[in-house]
Amino acid sequence: MDTLVEIQEVTKVIKGRTIIDSVSFEVKKGEVFGFLGPNGAGKTTTIRMLVGLISITSGDIKILGSSIKTDFEKAVSHIGAIVENPEMYKFLSGYQNLVHYARMSKGVTKEKINETVELVGLADRIHDKVRTYSLGMRQRLGLAQCLLHDPKILILDEPTNGLDPAGIREIRDHLRMLAREREMAVIVSSHLLSEMEMMCDRIGIIQNGKLIDVQHISDFVQGKEKIYEVEVDDPEKANRILIRAQPGLPVQLTENCVILPLVREDIPEMIKAFVREDMKIFSIREVTKTLEDRFLEVTEYKGGTGDARTDSK
Amino acid sequence: MLGLIQNEWMKIFRRPGTYVMIGLLLIMTTVAGAFIKYQESGGTVPDNTEWKRGLQTQNESYQKQLEEMGEMAPREMKEQYQREMAINEYRIKNDISPNQEYSVWGFVSDTSQLIEFAGLFTIIIAGGIVSSEFTWGTIKLLLIRPIKRVKILGAKYITVVLFGLLVLAVLFGYSALLGGLLFGFPEKAFPYLYYYNGTVTEQSMGLHLIAYYGLKSINMLMLATMAFMISAVFRNSSLAIGLSLFLMFMGGQVTRLIAMKYDWAKYSLFANTDLLQYFEGMPMVHGMTIGFSILMILIYFLLFQVLAFYVFNKRDVSA
Repeated sequence: MDTLVEIQEVTKVIKGRTIIDSVSFEVKKGEVFGFLGPNGAGKTTTIRMLVGLISITSGDIKILGSSIKTDFEKAVSHIGAIVENPEMYKFLSGYQNLVHYARMSKGVTKEKINETVELVGLADRIHDKVRTYSLGMRQRLGLAQCLLHDPKILILDEPTNGLDPAGIREIRDHLRMLAREREMAVIVSSHLLSEMEMMCDRIGIIQNGKLIDVQHISDFVQGKEKIYEVEVDDPEKANRILIRAQPGLPVQLTENCVILPLVREDIPEMIKAFVREDMKIFSIREVTKTLEDRFLEVTEYKGGTGDARTDSK
Repeated sequence: MLGLIQNEWMKIFRRPGTYVMIGLLLIMTTVAGAFIKYQESGGTVPDNTEWKRGLQTQNESYQKQLEEMGEMAPREMKEQYQREMAINEYRIKNDISPNQEYSVWGFVSDTSQLIEFAGLFTIIIAGGIVSSEFTWGTIKLLLIRPIKRVKILGAKYITVVLFGLLVLAVLFGYSALLGGLLFGFPEKAFPYLYYYNGTVTEQSMGLHLIAYYGLKSINMLMLATMAFMISAVFRNSSLAIGLSLFLMFMGGQVTRLIAMKYDWAKYSLFANTDLLQYFEGMPMVHGMTIGFSILMILIYFLLFQVLAFYVFNKRDVSA
């Protein structure tokens, strides 16, 4: 079975207010699924429903076919998760923390604990009290905690919150490795777009409790048309040429460039037209649309203007 | 389940506060021992030859007072006099002097006052065991294990009870040890005279003390259960500990006050937790029986547990 997580029409109502409105999606083996949305959109609530911390008003979540509602113990045994910051018992050592969690799952041996510690690179400090750990080390301990029982699904809520660039990179590499090599399904939530861009295969965008789009990251960032920036000697003239050829084209002008959306096949035509009019072309550059641009685009088109709701945390 | 209890035990005993509490208990016992040893006569037996006559005069004066007051005598006084008189008569008849040497048993009996502190410490643990997980934020990682919430909470409650038993055992064991060292073990153990329903029976002192500890700790168990419930329902350890301690110190007094005027005071938890009242004194409200008290204790116990488990199981963890 390739689909590890199925979320079916999940709805959550708290005190008459619909926090999550029939969200459905699936996550497959070996895939990193990003869950993206502004603060208060319902990311954390959805993730908490996934791991059974919050009850589901209607709909169901199936983990490898077991429902989290009716078969909690079996469903959750396939999941390793960090929900927000990995809060550990600060008065215990890292190792004692792991022993604590190991006792709560079946068949986690001492060797397995040591192996996991090695994997996340905490071997030197594992017997120190967690109180003395840096945030990055706590994050690594959190990762160790959710890998102990060899879960098939990894769920991380804002895994890079508060980490420095090196820490973020470390987490990212770990996640990619786990998805590739161990064929785990990874679900990550974040509001940091640039980060998602580098981490995920697919992303789902949630706004005001509704899942408004699920796309492959490459499709998402780049639509069919790309944006090109053409450096010319006279942008005004270039604009006139372009408008004549294709009225209604949204051309932007800067001091010495024109910026316009184009299909790749049309580029030679444009150059020919410019050359015919004796224009000088210095460079043509593809402008990569960032996830951020797309995200704002999508959330504005599909969700309307989001009201400034406070985060459900 | 064993693993879960082990976990909770580890979380209690890896915190220095726990050792401070146990240390305090030991220090208090030691201070009590030193005080009794050096401040009071500490072991000298008062003049022993005339005790039978003494008891006789005491009984006669009790009798006289009762007759003089007749119907005017308050019920408590009457019952207490009757009890004293019965025990005194038993002593005279069976030649058991009241002037025993102060020994280990006397000390253990005296330090049983410290059960209140054992209770206090158990309440502190019970009040924090659920709510701390919320404060620390560790509840999230705790509840996403393949274990039902009911089991996790159950393990926590069992741990509270085990901790209470440990503190009691430490208190009892340490008092016995210290009492033995300071005051010696008597060559001949004096029996404890036990008065119930008009008859006096002899009981071995060790057994009596264990029963005494057991009965006295019911109060502590109930308050710890209450603290545990508040902790699980309101996720607030200060509230749990504060309210339970307040009730521990005030609950009995307030109930006693209410009982003077109203009969319904007997339905209060605190009118019932002290089962000793049926053996050594008289019930707080006239007409209460030991069976009634046990029933009330059970009802409160179930109420606390059902509340704690229901709320904990349903709760959305979103903090």
